[in-house]
Amino acid sequence: MIVVIGEQRGGKLNRATWEAVAAAQSLGDTVKVIVLGGGADAAAREIAAAEVTEVAVVDAPALADYTADGYVAALASLIEQQAPSLVVFPHTYQTRDFVPALATRLGRALVTDVTAINRAEGRTVYSRPVFQGKLSAEVEALGPTPHLVTLQIGAFRADAAKRGASAASVTAATVSVDAGAVRQKPEAPFQEARQAVDLSQAERIVAVGRGIKGQEHLKIAEDLAKALGAELAASRPICDAGWLPMDRQIGSSGQTVAPKLYVALGISGAIQHLVGMKGSRTIVAINKDPEAPIFEIADYGIAGDLFEIVPALIAELNK
Amino acid sequence: MPNRETLDVDVLIVGGGPAGMSAALRLAQLQQEKGGEPLAIAVLEKAREVGAHMLSGAVLDPSTLRRLVPDFAAKGAPLASKVHQDRVYFLTRSSKLRFPITPPPLQNHGNYIISLNRFVKWLGGLVEAAGVDIFTGFSAVEVLYDGDRVIGVRTGDRGIGKHGEKRSTFEAGVDIHAKVTILTDGVRGNLTKAVVRRLALDAGKLPQLYAIGIKELWEIPSGRLPVGTVIHTMGYPLRMEEFGGAFIYAMPDGLTSVGFVTGLDYRDPMFDPHITFQHFKRHPFVASLLQGAQMVRYGAKALPEGGWHTVPRTYADGMLIAGDAAGFMNSMRLKGIHLAMRTGMLAAESAFEAVRANDVSSARLKSYADAIDASEVRRELYPVRNVHQSFSHGLLAGVAYSGLSLITGGWWHRDPMPAHAGYRRIAKLDAYYDGRRPDSDAPVRPAKIDRQLTFDRLTNVHYSGTRHPEDQPSHLIVHDADVCRTRCRSEYGNPCTRFCPANVYEMVDAGDGTKKLQINASNCVHCKTCDIMDPYQLIDWVPPEGGGGPQYEGM
Repeated sequence: MIVVIGEQRGGKLNRATWEAVAAAQSLGDTVKVIVLGGGADAAAREIAAAEVTEVAVVDAPALADYTADGYVAALASLIEQQAPSLVVFPHTYQTRDFVPALATRLGRALVTDVTAINRAEGRTVYSRPVFQGKLSAEVEALGPTPHLVTLQIGAFRADAAKRGASAASVTAATVSVDAGAVRQKPEAPFQEARQAVDLSQAERIVAVGRGIKGQEHLKIAEDLAKALGAELAASRPICDAGWLPMDRQIGSSGQTVAPKLYVALGISGAIQHLVGMKGSRTIVAINKDPEAPIFEIADYGIAGDLFEIVPALIAELNK
Repeated sequence: MPNRETLDVDVLIVGGGPAGMSAALRLAQLQQEKGGEPLAIAVLEKAREVGAHMLSGAVLDPSTLRRLVPDFAAKGAPLASKVHQDRVYFLTRSSKLRFPITPPPLQNHGNYIISLNRFVKWLGGLVEAAGVDIFTGFSAVEVLYDGDRVIGVRTGDRGIGKHGEKRSTFEAGVDIHAKVTILTDGVRGNLTKAVVRRLALDAGKLPQLYAIGIKELWEIPSGRLPVGTVIHTMGYPLRMEEFGGAFIYAMPDGLTSVGFVTGLDYRDPMFDPHITFQHFKRHPFVASLLQGAQMVRYGAKALPEGGWHTVPRTYADGMLIAGDAAGFMNSMRLKGIHLAMRTGMLAAESAFEAVRANDVSSARLKSYADAIDASEVRRELYPVRNVHQSFSHGLLAGVAYSGLSLITGGWWHRDPMPAHAGYRRIAKLDAYYDGRRPDSDAPVRPAKIDRQLTFDRLTNVHYSGTRHPEDQPSHLIVHDADVCRTRCRSEYGNPCTRFCPANVYEMVDAGDGTKKLQINASNCVHCKTCDIMDPYQLIDWVPPEGGGGPQYEGM
């Protein structure tokens, strides 16, 4: 049995949980999901639609608000109880916060930011990026099982998760967490002044780069995004110039995304941008310079003037 | 006034490089040898982890290492390879001439090829094992004085937003008070620069002369170059008027350092060190070495080349300066790590005695300068005191004088041989190009970028691992950006866009048909070239929020 640790906040399931379930299902073992924290019920019902044996909800006063100590204590005793063959986590900020401590508590190997899992002849080999994503290392976990594995966001496809014929049973798991063991005191979740855009959740993205030339031309990118039902994003120079807010920036100093469709308008494809979007399923690039590196990773490339091509695309989409 | 914490120590070392780490280790040793009330010692380092901002060729002369850590082999010093072979070439556009004999200063018998980053990480481990605290991720932004006496430093605030506003994560910097502050903040260190200016420590000295070194780490098929081979080249792609050359050092497993050093005292305002390095790699000799190989790391750093006559006074009340910060480098041997370590050790010895004697006055700390004068540091640097200066008369004059100095012990009829700071030598476009000025937004000698052998600046920056939190003020302060779009644009054609190897400075469309300066501060690899070479001296490099910068590994 493989255990997937889901993530939720206030009852809203993090989409990356579906990715983790998809990855676990692909390993050909039964899958069980554990969701922790206040309001986990609603999130558990959502993920119960997946083809899994069971969704366990763990709610205790000490887990109402996320703390690393609380999660480590609860998960350590749950994992020891259930003795799964593998524990899978989405590689979210929250996971990154507590999972090293959990691995240490359990004395188990931890493989982080995994992008692919290969199981053959009883061996499990994980791929994970090194050198900031330039190289990929293949590693095997040693020592007693279960090993702990975190999955890079976007590396596995959420829509590939198999859905069950009927909803899996949602059960309440009891685990006692001594409130005294929690040394952190959570404060109210930090709120950005503006509602930040979470581009990592977008299925389609239209991104603009320097080729857009001026802020007044952003309109055509917005129109294309609207026609495609996509979020608008940008490469670094656009956000530096203040034409779009920083939370729309894709790349090594912005967000990392892996949508189904990524349309790059006037983006040359500096490596700093590529590392933020190369996991996209289908990449369409429009750029004047046929030598631009973006074409090396694009599935469809148009070497030409975006000011001619984009309006034509919009007209065709709106037909 | 923000509510600042203060910390009191006996000796504070600012900068965890070879000089700082050697000073710290030596202090710990002295404490153990001499006993008594233990001294409180602290090391500040702006990098996220020890060694992450360290970059050098590097070939290590192990003389100081032997003195500082006699059992260095048993302690696992990461020395990649002994030097087995020296080769020196003069390159022309398409061929090479091997020097029949290796000039004595470039003979590396008994030396080691190392990664300075790994070496300093190892030294840092010894320092910590000796019980000294290393505060990584803390930059020092200001020297604290009592009158003219240095009493410590202030570390940088954290959590300041892009426009200077305090973010919710704001944390005021800490004042660290020390009886003796040892500045080992490296080449063009921001604190040393300020202290030298305020206390006029450079009075009567020549201006420092710098170079910029750009380095890539390559993985080449092993066996292509025997391990322990040290190659230096002169000539192409530099012209007779430019100082510099390349290095190729072969380490085990095909790991190879490839780098190019150019004097920051060139005249041509269109000169571009980054493009020059690409031309070098496209030379048939180098291209054949690197063919089918992979570049894995990149970095850049300035070097203090000026030598003995440019070293400022290295002591003041409550303060000592050691290593590259003071300019202890032998440009003729292309070496400075052992001198940084040695001066760090000597600084530690003077600081220790001064603290114990409860007298940290300038008069007492002068013992450091006296110790340097009596040591092999002076014996090595004094005879070559005019060498770099002689190259300001061109390659031929420089080589001729360097050869002569080996016989004469560095004598010249004007000693010190005069020289101007590099930023004063750079010529104006109209003067240099005699009225036929080129388009300053395009390279004069472009190099083909194929992203296999040659790279654009941005790609290279990626391979330096450089990261800075985005929401902070620019740490490159241009005191009058109007000069950039007006005077500098017409007089020099914005040379910052060329001498900065990391694409920090860009002239972008202002929207009204003119260009304006854009500073991409988060690309900065902390090489300090802009601070050094800006012809108007309007750029101040100050440390970004602690922890920002390159993440060198194996460099």
